[in-house]
Amino acid sequence: MTIAPTRRNVLLIVVVLTLSLAGVVLAALAVGGAHLSLGEVWSGLRGAAADPQAAIIIREIRLPRIILAILVGGALAVSGTGLQALLRNPLADPYVLGVSSGAALGAIVALWLGGRVAAASPLVAFLGAALTMIWVYLLGRRAGRLASYTLLLAGVITASFLSAVILFVLTLLSTRDVRGIAFWLMGDLSVVTNVQLRLLLPAIVLAILGMYLFAKDLNVLLLGEEEAAHLGVNVTRVETAVYLLASLLTGLAVSVSGAIGYLGLLVPHLGRMIVGNDHRALLPAAALGGAIVLVLSDMLARTVIAPAELPVGAVTAVAGAPVFIYLLRKTTG
Amino acid sequence: MLAVDWPRVSGNISFAPAAIANSLPVEPVRMRNPFCLPESRAARHPPLRRAAAAVWLAALFIAPFALGAAARHVTDQTGRQVDVPDHPHHIVSLAPSITEIIYALGAGDELVGDTDFCDYPPEAKLKPHVGEVVNPSLERIVALKPDLVFGTAEANRRETADQLARLGIPLYGLTSHNLEQTFVSIQDVGEVLGHERQAQELLGSLRARVAAVEKRVAGQPRPKVLFVVWYRPLITAGPQTFISDVIHRGGGVSISGDLKGEWPRLSLEVALQRDPDVILIPQTAAFSPSLEDFEKLPGWKDLRAVKQHRLYLVPETILRPSPRLVDALEEVAAILHPASGSPPRTSR
Repeated sequence: MTIAPTRRNVLLIVVVLTLSLAGVVLAALAVGGAHLSLGEVWSGLRGAAADPQAAIIIREIRLPRIILAILVGGALAVSGTGLQALLRNPLADPYVLGVSSGAALGAIVALWLGGRVAAASPLVAFLGAALTMIWVYLLGRRAGRLASYTLLLAGVITASFLSAVILFVLTLLSTRDVRGIAFWLMGDLSVVTNVQLRLLLPAIVLAILGMYLFAKDLNVLLLGEEEAAHLGVNVTRVETAVYLLASLLTGLAVSVSGAIGYLGLLVPHLGRMIVGNDHRALLPAAALGGAIVLVLSDMLARTVIAPAELPVGAVTAVAGAPVFIYLLRKTTG
Repeated sequence: MLAVDWPRVSGNISFAPAAIANSLPVEPVRMRNPFCLPESRAARHPPLRRAAAAVWLAALFIAPFALGAAARHVTDQTGRQVDVPDHPHHIVSLAPSITEIIYALGAGDELVGDTDFCDYPPEAKLKPHVGEVVNPSLERIVALKPDLVFGTAEANRRETADQLARLGIPLYGLTSHNLEQTFVSIQDVGEVLGHERQAQELLGSLRARVAAVEKRVAGQPRPKVLFVVWYRPLITAGPQTFISDVIHRGGGVSISGDLKGEWPRLSLEVALQRDPDVILIPQTAAFSPSLEDFEKLPGWKDLRAVKQHRLYLVPETILRPSPRLVDALEEVAAILHPASGSPPRTSR
């Protein structure tokens, strides 16, 4: 029942998903911890000075948060799609190669050091992600070329080692500090600055477009490394590029939002169920689908126990598995 | 006086469960057993001493199954059954607040171990440490040969208490959700350690200070208060915490009074909409966000409290259900109602 990936159908998928995303964004703008009428939301969005407080809530809190959800959701889903193809493993997700653990460790060390370093914790988190990415890349190389199985093993072992270090650091901290960090480890979209958004937006969009350049190569790579080489694909170049782009996307997302779980694993599979395994259709579907899923999840996180909030990672984790099982049964049954 | 108390103290189980004990009127002397008397006072009553010895011997024969003849079976504040020795001398504390209570009762010499985070009074830092609060080292606790361990339901884990029980080391659990329960904890620790007199004196002065604060702020308009436990995400203190109680008694009203749980995440939107008059940020020794970090929170600079520079770093004691919680109360009251008291210390 999947759709043939003709140019026209891909365009159709993009248009339909973009419209859905627009609808979800409007819904997400309308609800939140603070009760605002639709009129207030609209005037707040336009910056009309009728109620300065509503304007601040919409323009400084709600809208940036929704934009962040779009960027992070898209980044994680595309990263997961790329890694599942690169590693030829349906269980691969953006965190499997340790990038998120590196980012988390960076953030925690930054908070632990305190002062000016703590204030720059997203930057230090990205530094941790980048170092982990380079380290795993060096470990994963074999005889001058990247081997996906070595890469997977190197990534998994690095991830578990870094997680162990994180647990060790957590035991050194008082319970109050751990509470804040635990929420960060679960994923959180509540705090984003305009500067961060201005840096994230071009970086994530460019990395997603970069990944799309390799869509055809990823299709061939699914046949196997040797087969791809026979078909004229420069396997090492493609694998290195896909690895770096996927890690970059994960690092960018995680350094601002923490490790939001399941989305990067499930959205690529959801995409495959709908548009099939052709990455020319799958990558844009995953990018937009990831954005839709995260905006929706965050909308729930903001509203279900208002005026308190849930960590968005808890919503994606709880909702992710049942939705996935339902779709799995529906498409195979 | 002792004669009046005598009927109540005979037998082996005079230590009432915490809930009942708390509701009893405060009396200066509530002896369980004459042997708990300081030597000098007991020596002034030789006949009584003989009678007590008889009871003691009887107890030895009647209750041979007891852990030691001088152990009492009590229910602690968390509802667990604990065999508390009659006069513990080797105490381990598993929380900074308990360490403070023990020292405040003059029982610091009987403390043989505390946690890495026990930093007040300064002498507490010199005690052997058993590790951190959530996961202390059982081996080190056992090696210190304590006859009693104190823990709290909020900071410690039940597993620690269960494991210690299996090793034959009693753990007396405390819990504190408001100022009154903190006072009850002080009273209970005093009774368990045989420092009732010190506990009564301490509680008398603490209650007087609380009453003075409440009298001063009574009838004054209550500013809206946001208490920040953590800033990224924004975590605050729920209504069931001693922190909220301190804010209330200090003459303020918490903007998170309708939230569930002890440490809920507060929506930034809601914080902005409820627009607190005052923001309180606890200042911990290490790993504490600076005021500059808060500037990065979306919408933060538009809060009335921020515009009017009514952000205050409050001492860490507001996070500890110890006698110094009253220090924090006085500080909070001075911050919330500066006109009638001393001006607040820390403001930016």
